[in-house]
Amino acid sequence: EDSVQVRQKLVEVDPKEEEEFDRELRALMQESLESRKLELRARPTLNMMIPMNVFEGSKDSRTIEGESGEETIDEEGGSGGGNNKVRVKVLVKKGNKQQTKQMYIPQDCSLVQSTKQKEAAELEE
Amino acid sequence: EETGEDENFEYGKGDFTEHACRYCGVQNPACVVRCNIPSCRKWFCNSRGNTSGSHIVNHLVRAKHKEVCLHKDSPLGETILECYNCGCRNVFLLGFISAKTESVVVLLCREPCLSVNALKDMNWDLSQWCPLIDDRCFLPWLVKVPSEQEQLRARHISAQQINKVEELWKTNPDATLEDLEKPGVDDEPQPVALKYEDAYQYQNVFAPLIKLEADYDKMMKESQSKDNVTVRWDIGLNKKRIAYFVFPKEDNELRLVPGDELRLRYSGDAAHPAWQSVGHVIKLTAQEEVALELRANQGVPVDVNHGFSVDFVWKSTSFDRMQGALKTFAVDETSVSGYIYHHLLGHEVELQIVRNTLPRRFGAPGLPELNASQVFAVKSVLQKPISLIQGPPGTGKTVTSAAIVYHMAKQGQGQVLVCAPSNVAVDQLAEKISSTGLKVVRLCAKSREAVMSPVEHLTLHYQVRHLDTSEKSELHKLQQLKDEQGELSSSDEKKFKALKRATEREILQNADVICCTCVGAGDPRLSNFRFRQVLIDESTQATEPECLIPLVLGVKQVVLVGDHCQLGPVIMCKKAARAGLAQSLFERLVLLGLKPFRLQVQYRMHPSLSEFPSNSFYEGTLQNGVTINERQSSGIDFPWPVPNRPMFFYVQMGQEEISASGTSYLNRTEAANVEKIVTSFLRSGVIPSQIGVITPYEGQRAYIVNHMSRNGALRQQLYKEIEVASVDSFQGREKDYIILSCVRSNEHQGIGFLNDPRRLNVALTRARYGIVILGNPKVLSKQPLWNSLLTHYKEHECLVEGPLNNLKQSMIQFQKPKKIYS
Ligand SMILES: [Zn+2]
Ligand SMILES: [Zn+2]
Ligand SMILES: [Zn+2]
Repeated sequence: EDSVQVRQKLVEVDPKEEEEFDRELRALMQESLESRKLELRARPTLNMMIPMNVFEGSKDSRTIEGESGEETIDEEGGSGGGNNKVRVKVLVKKGNKQQTKQMYIPQDCSLVQSTKQKEAAELEE
Repeated sequence: EETGEDENFEYGKGDFTEHACRYCGVQNPACVVRCNIPSCRKWFCNSRGNTSGSHIVNHLVRAKHKEVCLHKDSPLGETILECYNCGCRNVFLLGFISAKTESVVVLLCREPCLSVNALKDMNWDLSQWCPLIDDRCFLPWLVKVPSEQEQLRARHISAQQINKVEELWKTNPDATLEDLEKPGVDDEPQPVALKYEDAYQYQNVFAPLIKLEADYDKMMKESQSKDNVTVRWDIGLNKKRIAYFVFPKEDNELRLVPGDELRLRYSGDAAHPAWQSVGHVIKLTAQEEVALELRANQGVPVDVNHGFSVDFVWKSTSFDRMQGALKTFAVDETSVSGYIYHHLLGHEVELQIVRNTLPRRFGAPGLPELNASQVFAVKSVLQKPISLIQGPPGTGKTVTSAAIVYHMAKQGQGQVLVCAPSNVAVDQLAEKISSTGLKVVRLCAKSREAVMSPVEHLTLHYQVRHLDTSEKSELHKLQQLKDEQGELSSSDEKKFKALKRATEREILQNADVICCTCVGAGDPRLSNFRFRQVLIDESTQATEPECLIPLVLGVKQVVLVGDHCQLGPVIMCKKAARAGLAQSLFERLVLLGLKPFRLQVQYRMHPSLSEFPSNSFYEGTLQNGVTINERQSSGIDFPWPVPNRPMFFYVQMGQEEISASGTSYLNRTEAANVEKIVTSFLRSGVIPSQIGVITPYEGQRAYIVNHMSRNGALRQQLYKEIEVASVDSFQGREKDYIILSCVRSNEHQGIGFLNDPRRLNVALTRARYGIVILGNPKVLSKQPLWNSLLTHYKEHECLVEGPLNNLKQSMIQFQKPKKIYS
């Protein structure tokens, strides 16, 4: 109802500011990496099993969704995630408990490319 | 006590929600994350604004903080982002991976977990690690980027400001961006601008100016203590004690008005303990006597009359409400519509048309027929989200405003809010609107409930007392008890308050139109009301923040009525005035290119009187709705130099003097001649209430009052009934005959107040039948506008000198005006 057309000036980012910011950001990334390399000599233990119920649930997702997962489905996604979004489950740990939450990811995101391809391949077979 | 409610009320209810981005104020939960460093815990959004990185990334980089937590209403809920495998929380190391076959994703750190090959065997695809921070922004599908609309309405923060505030947070984690802008004690405040980036910048400019004015006002008023005051006691109809006393007005700007709070003190004597009580001014008599209604009846030393002291009790309410409105405007995006928001800030917006069915007739029942320019104004205003109506003197502003409000109220968009800066104007408007048959409630400040009002039957407090329904009998019973006893038991008082509040609410909700002052629109009793349509009369006499108070209650359509060619708001603090606080919103909108609809037919002045103002202030567009015949003073035998031209400039060469207080001026010769002119009017059959004497100087005003009552040739009482006032206080009013005393008569100094063309306009346009101006042409002619006024009078043979019964045309030479008046 309250739509308004504002003619705005083009935002121009000062290239010097951009360059300086980039430098700081890269330094922070680098420093983060280095510190981890020093800290953790030993290989970490793995604790990455995908809980079985996630697989089971893929047929009927409602039964295993995290508490807060459903009510906040992205409005843009509309029903069932819309045309260009893919529904994924995000696995998180709350304390020692595993939980999944539902989310929508754009179809062109590299993260979901391989699953898509795999599914396509499986379909062909 | 009655003061409670307002004082505990927090203005600017659109409080910064805790999770609003600390840089820009965006508060959409899907768009913000919280920095998880315990000493920080600030929220930031994922928009870039004017910077190369998003706000959250900016913060993390600048502060070297590395952990974040999502909002509880985001898709993942309140979650600290961490590596699923090792729990590492450094967001600069985190990214998503997905399972090979299922649509399952997890966060994994780049070092070391991503390099563990064994994960591949566990069905995870490590080839597509998707970093959390990409292109200096969080993944937009995890933390949304605020929409364009949201960003437009947010604070536009620059990279420099970010650096500065981050620096400030290192020593003061609670600092705000406003702290960056705060001027030092001796700094000149930042001046007002034409356009503002956003409402935060707007607030940054206006808040310090309001503060300056408030401090000055406080200092001024609290220094007004008077000792040795003599009091006369009385009891009001509501059984409250009333103290009458003279509170002598110094020659300064302070003027008591009804509703002001004063403290009356008695230091005690052998028979009386020390006593003091606060009360409200309910009346000011012509003799400058103040009627103060005391708040408490107990212990009043009514048998004592001498030796009282009076102090002014300064209240910050009006300033608090302005500050509140500025804040609400910035942080509450529902405070005004998007269109109005951007328009007020001077952003370029595509013109919008309000789609409402227009009425067939533009007049309204109970009002006079509208003329063509009034109809045009009403019609245009109804179709626009923001409009300005310029009403030159006597052009029927109030009728036009009432007609607009009538049609707005009939559109079914909810209640209409009608405001003006002064109580007088609100009362006039309320009365006119009520005559159209609409249900009008006039909301008064609590401190003014005892003040006489010409529209008493419309006031909320009157309606509460007289609403006659059976459910209200309990309220009435308690009210009666309170009136009789002066107070109630605490349980009854509680019941009384609750019942009263509910009744007030009910009456307000049932109204079509609510009328109050601009400051009154910030009354807590309206805090839960929303008004889409707001009309502000006399808006050119209000400061911008004052005008904002009625607007931030949800406005979508606003009409500002006023006249920027007459006097603007009174600002007492010179620093604030210099910085532009005296410029009204109406004026700024005109400067931004919004063209006012001008009402063009004046119904007040004799056509000879309107000629010069029309040409000098309104580009000659003012037409006369009255004829010479309708303004003929028949039977009045007054020595006008030119018959049918009831005006003259009476040349005065008397000296100006500085008044006793040292802050104002007076001119004895002019005062003596004012008395002679008044006497001549009275002798010719004019009655005192038809005459107004106006002058720009308080010193001269006081001197004339005194002089006339001592030296008047006729009965003293006649002179007492004549209103003598400052030009400024006469704005908005009229008299049949006006005598203007200019006072200034010094070759070497300027002409002070007279320099303002808007003051001259007001002075010249108060009279209906005739005007006499007393002044020194030698001094006044140096100012270009006065020069052309004098030339106008001279050309019409109305520049005269000599005794009143033998006026002769003056041959006095004018001086060259200094610069061209534009
Ligand atoms: Zn932080
Ligand atoms: Zn932000
Ligand atoms: Zn890890």
